[in-house]
Amino acid sequence: MADRDHRRTVLAAAAVTLLVTLSAVAAPMASARPAHEIPVSPATGDLGEPTADGWDDVPAATVALASAPSSVPNADQTSVERVHVQAARGDGRLYLRLQWQDATRDVSADDPREFADSVAVQFPVNASSRPPIAMGGPDNRVNVWYWSPPTGTEELLAGGAGSTTSFPESSVNASAVHRGSGANATWTVVYTRELDAAGENRTTVPETRDLDVAFAVWNGSNGERSGQKAVSEWHYFPFSGGPEGPPYQALLWSVAGVAIVGVVAVTAFGVHRARGGMR
Amino acid sequence: MSSQQEDGDTHVNVADGIDHQVAMVMDLNKCIGCQTCTIACKSLWTEDGGSEYMYWNNVETKPGEGYPRGWEDSGGGWQSEDHSERQPGEIPSQEDYGRPWEFNHSEIMYEGSDEPLRPREGAEWGPNWDEDQGAGEYPNSYYFYLPRICNHCTHPSCVEACPRSAIYKREEDGIVLVDQDRCRGYRYCVEGCPYKKVYYNTVSKKSEKCIFCYPRIEGEGPEGETFAPACAEECPPQLRLVGFLDDEDGPIYKLVEEYEVALPLHPEFRTQPNVYYIPPYAPPQHTEDGETVDVERIPRQYLRELFGDRVDDALDTIKREKQRARQGDDSELMELLQHKNPAKQYRLEVFEDG
Ligand code: SF4
Ligand code: SF4
Repeated sequence: MADRDHRRTVLAAAAVTLLVTLSAVAAPMASARPAHEIPVSPATGDLGEPTADGWDDVPAATVALASAPSSVPNADQTSVERVHVQAARGDGRLYLRLQWQDATRDVSADDPREFADSVAVQFPVNASSRPPIAMGGPDNRVNVWYWSPPTGTEELLAGGAGSTTSFPESSVNASAVHRGSGANATWTVVYTRELDAAGENRTTVPETRDLDVAFAVWNGSNGERSGQKAVSEWHYFPFSGGPEGPPYQALLWSVAGVAIVGVVAVTAFGVHRARGGMR
Repeated sequence: MSSQQEDGDTHVNVADGIDHQVAMVMDLNKCIGCQTCTIACKSLWTEDGGSEYMYWNNVETKPGEGYPRGWEDSGGGWQSEDHSERQPGEIPSQEDYGRPWEFNHSEIMYEGSDEPLRPREGAEWGPNWDEDQGAGEYPNSYYFYLPRICNHCTHPSCVEACPRSAIYKREEDGIVLVDQDRCRGYRYCVEGCPYKKVYYNTVSKKSEKCIFCYPRIEGEGPEGETFAPACAEECPPQLRLVGFLDDEDGPIYKLVEEYEVALPLHPEFRTQPNVYYIPPYAPPQHTEDGETVDVERIPRQYLRELFGDRVDDALDTIKREKQRARQGDDSELMELLQHKNPAKQYRLEVFEDG
């Protein structure tokens, strides 16, 4: 009996220690940033294509997706749960790479029942205020960078659900590949746009201010289109902190992590001793 | 919701915000299944890439699977009379519409083949596959033809289904149109129409449908003339009346509202169609020896399934009026049903100054 207690205590202490150590070590690497922040790297190297080498050095944020609230049929039936987002800025361009798992490569809409996979990135037209997440609002519109295999890239303007309108000319380029099969099958889409692409109702990428951004993904073979889509909350690119992001944060997290590990280790050791002493 | 117009012009139910409602009455007793209407429509509107499989006007044999196959069971329409909840629907498969076939013309014409002319492959279903099959046993088998276009419904569930308001009912005459600039090919209208009269263009990636030949009725002919829709004008037996439901002096109003002999197809879908049918009154059954027996050839229950319970009264009225006419009495109804004067058949300019 006492022996079992003892073993349990040791195990628990070990587990807690491991967990805290892991999170403390992991924190500065992956989430040394506020929730909803998507890091932006300086654009060095080749980023123009989905498979370009340059992307290996750009950190990714994992963005959670959920079915968008919508009145279209089957709105709650979406299949994509997360999208990995990488961003880089340089050479006067913004580069975005989105990756998500999708076992079916749905590239055609040539049959009455066929829908193609699609992806969209949404920005406020006016970076200084955050529009309603669902396609913006009449007074607070959004730009959407939409890509789908049959139509290619479209730049859209919307001021509320159902109001989407195409720009006559898209200033955004996108290219995509679908690789792998089954559970490992992944779409990779790269968007690029000139930072100062001018135009009415076109988002200006700010120099010294954060830029809100949101994502949507459609799985065509699941009949997803329109409001039946997996969407994120608003995230942001931390342009206010300069292109590299605030370095002191990583430092703070490291210090905090080490401190927590120390405290937990001491506590666990103490508990262990106390229990052992009672035997 | 529809409203009773209160300006004293009419007491016909037209949709809210609609000035007048175009309507068509088709007398099913006159249709010979020649498909001239189908071809007139097709050669005007659906010959371009991506629309090959579409028939905005089709003529199907009843009883039969129809076009697209099984459309009557494909969902759509409204759940109740208050038009608040739509009934879920399906997009028909390409197989159910039928694919355009390729024929062995070149083999026969240029390569000396003595094969019979036939589709190269994939000919397993298509519009009219079950043409003239019908139902019933010899000598009492039966069928009739059912020409169908978009009904330009008073409560169009296709319109309600579109999250972008790309499909709309136009104010001046209630014609239901797809705005090609707004449509993004989501096909909720295709699912939502219980008559499956919106089609997806596989090349333009947008939805399309019958436009009631609006450029013709607006007088956009070469000489500025007004024409009825091509399916009506080209019909050899001239079985289609075209006009406005709320034109109280016109034959459509009389047949639909006064005599109540012209009925919408599948009223239980609750979209309130504006294409109306004079139900078929076939001769009674007969014995193998050719003797007439007092049993209806087309089962009444089948007609109720198509046209609702009001078909009983409609057929009674027609029978009664026929009898009167046969006895030499005046029957306005029989006159209306026998009209051959196109000027009276197409009343499209009645509201022009109004
Ligand atoms: S028949 Fe179908 S497409 Fe035509 S108006 Fe009615 S619901 Fe819409
Ligand atoms: S043209 Fe007239 S008779 Fe011929 S199929 Fe069409 S509706 Fe029937």
